[in-house]
Amino acid sequence: MNGPRALALAALAALAALPWVLARHQLSILTDLLIFGLFALSLDLIMGYTGMVSFGHAAYFGLGAYGSALVLVHSGQPVPVALLAGALLAGVVALPVGWFSTRATGIYFAMLTLAFAQLLYTVAYKWRDLTGGSDGLAGVPKTTLFWGGPSLATPHAYYFLVTACVVLALLLCRALVRSPFGRALQAIRENERRFVALGRAARPFKLVVFVIAAALAGLAGALFAPFRGFASPEVMFWVLSGQGLMMVLTGGIGTLIGPILGAMVFILIQEVLSSYTEHWMIFSGAVFVLMVIFLPGGLVGTARRLVTRA
Amino acid sequence: MAIFVEQLLNALALAGLLFLVSAGLSLVFGILRVVNFAHGVFYMLGAYLGFTTVAVSGWFWPALLVVPPVVGVVGALLEASTLRFIYRRPPIYQLLLTFGLALILEESVRVLYGPTAKGIDPPPLLEGAIGIAGTLYPRYRLFLIVLSLAVGAAVWLFLQKTRSGLVIRAVAQNSEMADCLGADIARVRTWVFGAACALAGLGGVAAAPMTTAYLGMGIGVIVDAFVVVVIGGLGSIPGSMAGSLIVGAAQTWGAYYLPETAMVIMYAVMGAILIFRPWGLFGEEE
Repeated sequence: MNGPRALALAALAALAALPWVLARHQLSILTDLLIFGLFALSLDLIMGYTGMVSFGHAAYFGLGAYGSALVLVHSGQPVPVALLAGALLAGVVALPVGWFSTRATGIYFAMLTLAFAQLLYTVAYKWRDLTGGSDGLAGVPKTTLFWGGPSLATPHAYYFLVTACVVLALLLCRALVRSPFGRALQAIRENERRFVALGRAARPFKLVVFVIAAALAGLAGALFAPFRGFASPEVMFWVLSGQGLMMVLTGGIGTLIGPILGAMVFILIQEVLSSYTEHWMIFSGAVFVLMVIFLPGGLVGTARRLVTRA
Repeated sequence: MAIFVEQLLNALALAGLLFLVSAGLSLVFGILRVVNFAHGVFYMLGAYLGFTTVAVSGWFWPALLVVPPVVGVVGALLEASTLRFIYRRPPIYQLLLTFGLALILEESVRVLYGPTAKGIDPPPLLEGAIGIAGTLYPRYRLFLIVLSLAVGAAVWLFLQKTRSGLVIRAVAQNSEMADCLGADIARVRTWVFGAACALAGLGGVAAAPMTTAYLGMGIGVIVDAFVVVVIGGLGSIPGSMAGSLIVGAAQTWGAYYLPETAMVIMYAVMGAILIFRPWGLFGEEE
């Protein structure tokens, strides 16, 4: 058995065993880390594999959170229905946004996605009747796994639901980037002009991957709302979009597993810093600046380089 | 008619502020090929430093003179200590780095000034309103229009008529060639970055009597400025001016006729322009 596969199996075993080792609040933190790992993973799909840096990815996380919160609060359907609703809502909204944004490339794309995300944030903030405005939607219940099925209200049950979603999403993304479709994405990232010169249209690929990434971010948001019990405009704010980029960079752009680890490290650093000072943003900003300058490959990229050099 | 004139002047005043911010953003992109996410935070820094200067001196005018250079120096120091080292990387790294800088600066302002907004009184000369075309209009907003026009003209004259302006335009056009011909690229970058931050700081001081200085004003203005440069084209000063006017008009009339959906109007206009000109009105295809 080769190294990466052994590592993956060990990680799966650890994820399965951890709920029986960790204390209740530690398990809750781990669930949180995994949800944001999924968010960062979805961002890596467009940022790392297609070279499209979105500065508004939080909008789709937020749309997913609102979608799932609305379904759970108003209809009490099983959680998977809410997850589907959240991912679908994010994907559907991403379609027109992506259609506009993919007209531009590079920096223009980043600015357009930010502008649309702020627009969606404003809508969530102002549309009081639907979203509860700045208060958000509170009391989102963790219902059941299916109609008449087991309750997901225990920390263990919800943790396993989240873990299953993250693992499935990771496998899906892995299959995606290794498929001909994924190869095309990487070709666009490397040299879009040449890709076009070879007789392919780049925009349909970019639009499709943008919608997939948005739907996965929506899935993360849809998991988040029942987990925390609320959805509020903050989860759509630009700060989360920027933090997503930081998570991906911390873990390693274009490595899929890296962003998940990056999200975990990033949030843990934040947790530790915020227990010492309420102004942790200064320090996380400084850590991030140093990482950009000195560790551009992130954790996984740097580790791989060390391994291949050794 | 009176309402139309009032709205027109409102749009111009807003466009003036947007121009002060977006011109610097565009200039930095033209020279450094960096989109400075922290640019809005320098605007906010200007507003807060303006508050301090007014509080210390008791006057508004010194703030207008002192604050922009101070903000400019802060900007130039940050460029020389961080950005300078990563120009050879793909653009995403520079954008991310300025995002980190924005977090540090925003939180530093929160530490220094606390979470509440700080108001500045306009100078006595500009207080009150003046009658124009049958309507009473605040003097301070007229001053904003004049100030931004003057700054716009000064920037344009500097770039077109001075030797330094010539070097800057040369670097913007082809930095490698300018380097070969003996231009000190590193110094040009630092100066331009500092000057752009000073412009944003000036915008912040000028805005403070109207909007107060508050946390989050930076991100508010940077999003608007992004829309401006997307419409006008990055790297183009006339583009910033045209974009500022369009966004100013869209926001002003949008807020008047459709108060709930004013933001949507701005994006609709942007979307419509992008369909025909994906690189903005005055921009060039990358």
